[in-house]
Amino acid sequence: METNDRTVPPTETSQTPITRRQLLRLFALGATASAGSALLAACGGGTPATPAATSAPAPAATTAPAQGTASRPLTPSFYQWIVDLHPSIPQVNSTFAGLNFQIAPVEGFGIERFVAEGKNKESTWDVYVGMTPFVEMSQLIKADVIEPWDNYIPKDVIDDLIPSIRAECTVDGKLYSWPFLLDVIGMSWNSSLTEKAGISAIPTTWDEYLASAQKVIDSGAAPYGATYDARGWRSIAPFTHSMSSNVYTSEGLFDFTSDAAVEALQLMKKIKDIANPDILNEGTTDGGVNNTPDEGAFAAQQVAYYTKYFNAPLRFAQTGGFSDKLQMAGLPKFANGEGSTVFWTTGSCLFKYGQNKDKAAEYVRTLTYNQQIWQDSIAGSATAHPGQLPPYKSLYAGWDSNKPDWMQPFVSLVRTQLDRARGITNHPFGLTQFIIGKPFWEEFLTGKEADPKAALQKAKDAVAAEIKKAG
Amino acid sequence: MAIAVSKEAGGVRSRQSAYRLRDYTNWMFLVPATFFFVGWQIYPILRVFALSFTDYKYLETAPPNFVGLQNYVDAFSDPIFHTGLLRAFQFTVMFVPLTILLPLLLAALIDRVESPRLAFFYRLVLLIPAVIPGPLIFVLWKWLYDFQMGPINTILIEWFGLFTRQTAPQWLGGTPLSLPAVVIMEVWWGLGYHTVFFLAGLAAIPKDLPEQARIDGANEWQLFWRVTVPRLMPILSVLVVLRFGTAMSVIDEFLIFGGFQRTSPTYTWTVYMYDLAFKIGYWLQGYASAIGWLGALAMMVFVVGMLYIFRSRD
Repeated sequence: METNDRTVPPTETSQTPITRRQLLRLFALGATASAGSALLAACGGGTPATPAATSAPAPAATTAPAQGTASRPLTPSFYQWIVDLHPSIPQVNSTFAGLNFQIAPVEGFGIERFVAEGKNKESTWDVYVGMTPFVEMSQLIKADVIEPWDNYIPKDVIDDLIPSIRAECTVDGKLYSWPFLLDVIGMSWNSSLTEKAGISAIPTTWDEYLASAQKVIDSGAAPYGATYDARGWRSIAPFTHSMSSNVYTSEGLFDFTSDAAVEALQLMKKIKDIANPDILNEGTTDGGVNNTPDEGAFAAQQVAYYTKYFNAPLRFAQTGGFSDKLQMAGLPKFANGEGSTVFWTTGSCLFKYGQNKDKAAEYVRTLTYNQQIWQDSIAGSATAHPGQLPPYKSLYAGWDSNKPDWMQPFVSLVRTQLDRARGITNHPFGLTQFIIGKPFWEEFLTGKEADPKAALQKAKDAVAAEIKKAG
Repeated sequence: MAIAVSKEAGGVRSRQSAYRLRDYTNWMFLVPATFFFVGWQIYPILRVFALSFTDYKYLETAPPNFVGLQNYVDAFSDPIFHTGLLRAFQFTVMFVPLTILLPLLLAALIDRVESPRLAFFYRLVLLIPAVIPGPLIFVLWKWLYDFQMGPINTILIEWFGLFTRQTAPQWLGGTPLSLPAVVIMEVWWGLGYHTVFFLAGLAAIPKDLPEQARIDGANEWQLFWRVTVPRLMPILSVLVVLRFGTAMSVIDEFLIFGGFQRTSPTYTWTVYMYDLAFKIGYWLQGYASAIGWLGALAMMVFVVGMLYIFRSRD
């Protein structure tokens, strides 16, 4: 009986519906096969695969997609802070039909997602707005993630860039960053505190700056005289530039042991002595580089003088409710110094494996020339007052010849400063050299090391050790 | 007879093959779990292990080279790694006893509350931090610890007059107080969660046991240490081992409260590993993998030691 039951003619089998057991077996076989192949593929790959773009097609073998093969709408990606500070960006977006606007996954300036996608020769996005040349541009070039704008940017735009900004965005003669937002390190002060202290003159040298700050404390106008952001690219680098901007080695690294850097460190110690006591502490967002103690002290009107990129005092005077009392000027200089400072731009990079490259160039051009964005940035909007400026000569010339009623005095000040300022040289360690060196030069600031040059030598050695480790 | 035996043997074989087939079908139910276990646990571990023997730099486009044990040799002589391990150990030494003993004490106290409503209220209040999302906890404590406007410093300065605005403690941002500050936050955060573990353990202790001990003349202290604690030992050992592992490998809190400043007490081996792999220079992921393996091995040595200490002696 049993045998008969099992001896089913083939024809009958083919007509019988599949049993649950058979279905499950098939499923198990399929799932095992897929798991096995996935595992084998993963083991054989150079890097773990990243999630594919939702609308991106499978990329061509090794080359960037050709312009004619774009199969998705233009997909720009922005660092969140830019969108927060510039409320007119949606207005630009509305002029590009079907634009797929996205926020970039770059919390803490992390570019790992971009690099991972680049290694798979794909990109979810076409253009990233939020790259600062000395911070991550060298790394993105090294990883072959971005390509130069030269083939896409119109010549009139290239010619319109302020030369120092163009130099900042160029590596090996190629423009990798299309600059957008300009920041320059300068001096600002809360005039309600300085007036209370009986100060009317604007300090132009560091000696005058220190004397005025001390007067603020002595008069009881504020508990602290002056403050700065202790991150190296916001303090020791611009202070050094105020003495001399010729402080970069042939490899493109900051020369920590230059005489100018030693002067700058001594100045930092003098300012620290009259500053908020937590001045050297890390910030609390973006890997410790933002929400820094200087911002809190200035917003809380605990300190009168402040050196940082101009959008910081603008934003924190707004937070503290004393925007009408905020004054700004160029960075003071040493008596025998060059009077330079540090600037950087935040710009756009073009993904090598992105699409819509001509369209991306058209978008970035529209974005960076948009008058409403610059009006909001300079005069302030209901949501923010970043005070960041454009990179184009023509815009400044236009405002000079026909001054808009919303124009602010600090614009010409920053523009003037820019002629004397210098960007930090691009290098894969452009930013991290200051993070690695900071604990060592701070030994002098905290009194652990009496000799500023010895402290800076330790910083230099630490950076060299890391570079050696990197091979 | 021979035919009968043969038929019987054939039937047994047929049944065995049916069972075997059914067994194979049962394996199928393990496929999804196996797939995730292999893909999300085993493969990354093996991949990191393989990477640790190469000079893999994430930003390099050239393929990595096999370097043998060089990364491990370098890590053994890397002072930043040594300091990072020591800092993680310091954090663990502060965190684990507090995060075990305080909830144990609280559970013992709550277990004695006779009013069910009051006991429920205590449990509810204790569990509140456990259900608050992590980012909110970090924002809350960053504000509490703020040097200039935080309530903790305001209380210390204005209520107790212990400090001035200039001399007030700097809780966060890479100061020596950063580690204790994170410990306090972590202990507070896990207090209710761990207390519930002990309450569950206490509920499983037969009620007549302490009564008998009391009749035998044991005081409350003796009752706690000789009756309650030994009965909670299985829970205690699981919590100690788990919390040791999590404490040695903390990274989120350290990144948020201390950043990447290398002199900060919060710059532990985990932060160093992340820094190497995703921040510095060309992203030395081969070397970072070796650091990760050495850190994990160091933790495993302690975990094995603790499992031995807490082994069952019944």
